[in-house]
Amino acid sequence: MKLLTANRLSDGVVLWYAKDRWVEDAALAAQIDDAEAETLQKTWAARETEVVAPYLIPLTADGQPVQREHVREFVRANGPTAGQTAFDTSRSFHRAEIFE
Amino acid sequence: MSQPNSSHTPTLVTRDGAVLPDGWQLLNDADEASGDGPYVLGFERALRELDGLNDRCGVRIQPADDVRLLEPFLDKIALVEVAFPGFRDGRGYSTARILREDLGFTGIVRAVGDVLRDQLHHMLRCGFDEFVVKDADPAEAVAAAAKRFSVAYQGAADDRLPAWQRRLNAEAAVS
Amino acid sequence: MYVYDDFDHAFVADRNREFADQVQRRLNGEITEDQFKPLRLMNGLYLQLHAYMLRVAVPYGVLSSRQMRRFAHIARTYDRDFGHFTTRQNIQFNWIKLADTPKILEELAEVEMHALQTSGNCIRNTTTDQFAGAAKDEVADPRPFAEIIRQWSSNHPEFTFLPRKFKIAITGAFKDRAAIRVHDIGLHLKPTGFDVHVGGGMGRTPYLAPLIKTGLQPENLLSYLEACLRVYNRYGRRDNIYKARIKILVSALGAEEYSRQVEEEWARLDTTKVDAPLAVVDHFKSFFPDPAFKGGFDAEALDRAKTADAAFARWVRNNTHAHKRDDHVSVTISLKPVGLPPGDASSAQMDVMADAAEAYGYGELRVSHEQNIILPHVAKGDLYALYRDLDGSNLSTANVGKITDMIACPGLDYCSLANARSIPLAQDISQRFEDAQLTDTIGDLQIKISGCINACGHHHVGHIGILGVDKQGIEFYQILLGGRADENAALGVITGKGLPAEAVPAAIERVVRLYLDLRTSETERFIDTVTRLGRETFAEALHEPA
Repeated sequence: MKLLTANRLSDGVVLWYAKDRWVEDAALAAQIDDAEAETLQKTWAARETEVVAPYLIPLTADGQPVQREHVREFVRANGPTAGQTAFDTSRSFHRAEIFE
Repeated sequence: MSQPNSSHTPTLVTRDGAVLPDGWQLLNDADEASGDGPYVLGFERALRELDGLNDRCGVRIQPADDVRLLEPFLDKIALVEVAFPGFRDGRGYSTARILREDLGFTGIVRAVGDVLRDQLHHMLRCGFDEFVVKDADPAEAVAAAAKRFSVAYQGAADDRLPAWQRRLNAEAAVS
Repeated sequence: MYVYDDFDHAFVADRNREFADQVQRRLNGEITEDQFKPLRLMNGLYLQLHAYMLRVAVPYGVLSSRQMRRFAHIARTYDRDFGHFTTRQNIQFNWIKLADTPKILEELAEVEMHALQTSGNCIRNTTTDQFAGAAKDEVADPRPFAEIIRQWSSNHPEFTFLPRKFKIAITGAFKDRAAIRVHDIGLHLKPTGFDVHVGGGMGRTPYLAPLIKTGLQPENLLSYLEACLRVYNRYGRRDNIYKARIKILVSALGAEEYSRQVEEEWARLDTTKVDAPLAVVDHFKSFFPDPAFKGGFDAEALDRAKTADAAFARWVRNNTHAHKRDDHVSVTISLKPVGLPPGDASSAQMDVMADAAEAYGYGELRVSHEQNIILPHVAKGDLYALYRDLDGSNLSTANVGKITDMIACPGLDYCSLANARSIPLAQDISQRFEDAQLTDTIGDLQIKISGCINACGHHHVGHIGILGVDKQGIEFYQILLGGRADENAALGVITGKGLPAEAVPAAIERVVRLYLDLRTSETERFIDTVTRLGRETFAEALHEPA
């Protein structure tokens, strides 16, 4: 299973794919089976006026980003872990951190 | 590395914006010259054959070719095609400047390969006078490129004075 | 400082118009991301983890109050209220919208700033000594030449698609505060002319730049640089991005052969077209006069203030640098308060620094490659008033050059290239050493942290260098010892296996305590003890609990 993520072209905001639409909150991201995920990634890679750099995040059995991508995807989903904007992203969605 | 999305047909256009048919034929190393030409020879072949030629021909230079090796044969060369296999490979800019400013070549210098409108201004400054460019409106692309920057900060193969020279001239004018 | 004339304004306006057009063509799909990416990089716009990051050039680190205020405005209006100062004397804004960028560039152009060539395979911001024009040990002011190089390298038609990025640094003091030996070209301005070092760099394969030429005359600087760049453009490797910097070419050819090729190319250049004559050099020098230094320094008043306020006395001791005039100093404003990201400043802090520069610093500031802000000229009589202004905004941390004055790249909290986070580690280390007395006892010690091998945190030239490595997603850090960025430049050596994040602060502490035990006196600095005794002496302390 995989997650599909990208940045919105116009403002660079991180987006997550959730069943036919893009959302800004990683907590709503849909787990997609591998084959469908590949197709979706290619489709969106061609839709360059909407999103940029779409890529797939492989998941472990319990739905977390695999170890290799863990810190990076945690930071993208929750915000930088230090400084003035610490956990800004997760706070702005009124939810706890995800991808622990 | 070429760009898959550049869907426009490559078109030959001069620095003055004239769209031309390309009458030159690229001869690969194994090709026999059949017909009247004119021909563009690959670099290695040119080095071997130019000396013995009576007519002037064209030479295509790849990024890794040393343009200075053509110095003894410049009077036999009417056209130099400087190849840009990928637009990020900037060696062709040095090649053109060396041709113009060091070797004093006065024939046609043409940019071929991965040539887009965003490179034309710099190419003009480096001494190119023809471009095989991929664009919806090649003539407009060249015209826009010439006007793109009103200020040059450095001397190059073209006539533009660098800003420091223009400042000196302005000072001299008022004194 | 340099003031734009009509040519400079026209150039930036043309670039901004071009970029605005390119942004439009990208937004409506006329050009692809692949075509757009090198164009946006050449205007300093990166796509990072969270958003677009805009890197604004601060040419050779020199800034006016007005320009600093504009940064504050941009941070407030277009970003999340802060900016980050970098090891190349630039500023980065981390939360920029692509669609806003043309407007931001316009507002920067109004104060003679831009983001040109802060990224991409072109010549980047030329950096210099943060105390240029002020330092007591300065031989010649490098700033006019930094400006000459800046203009020559702007939109250079031949060198816009180099094999890789190109970084030039220049110094005019005996002590090298610009780290010239780890730059692609490092220029040392001496009375007899320039020493030219070529082929330094950090990253995967660090090198100290060998000396290629000595005694280069100022009126030939540009043509010689052009020859150096042309040889690189023609022969630098393009088959492998990890082997594409000029340091690889110089190392492969050998310094002698590279130098010979440059001389050959130089001999064939029409230097009259390239070289700016001495009259032009003088023209640029005229932009960097001394300020109208104020006199009337009351030494006793300063002493009284120091006696009355120990924290102020400490700040004077640690954060001021000798000035060519006895009644002035250069002041470093540390952007390394304990527990906050190194090199960051809020928009409010930027305004405070701009005001302070105007009130006490003749309107001029500098960004150092160590990610601090400098007021190069401050009358000693103004020090206490300056200190109080800074103190109210968390800008008075008295730790310049000390263990808590760390360099750290943004790391995996912001940067898509990173393997590991650097900011939390920097915060943990600085918290461990936050005690003022401990910090002062330890003395000069430079820790430099990079979140990946690209070495934006300059870890190769830290007395202690820390490099984030990727161990299947778990953040590990290699520790290097013995690096130096100064005139005795040296590359740090990896010492032992990587450590997990939680083990690093304690390991640093063990090394520091061993240094305190082994140093010959209070005045023997950490780096000198390491040099004297060898890194191996400290290797065990790094990895074994005492």
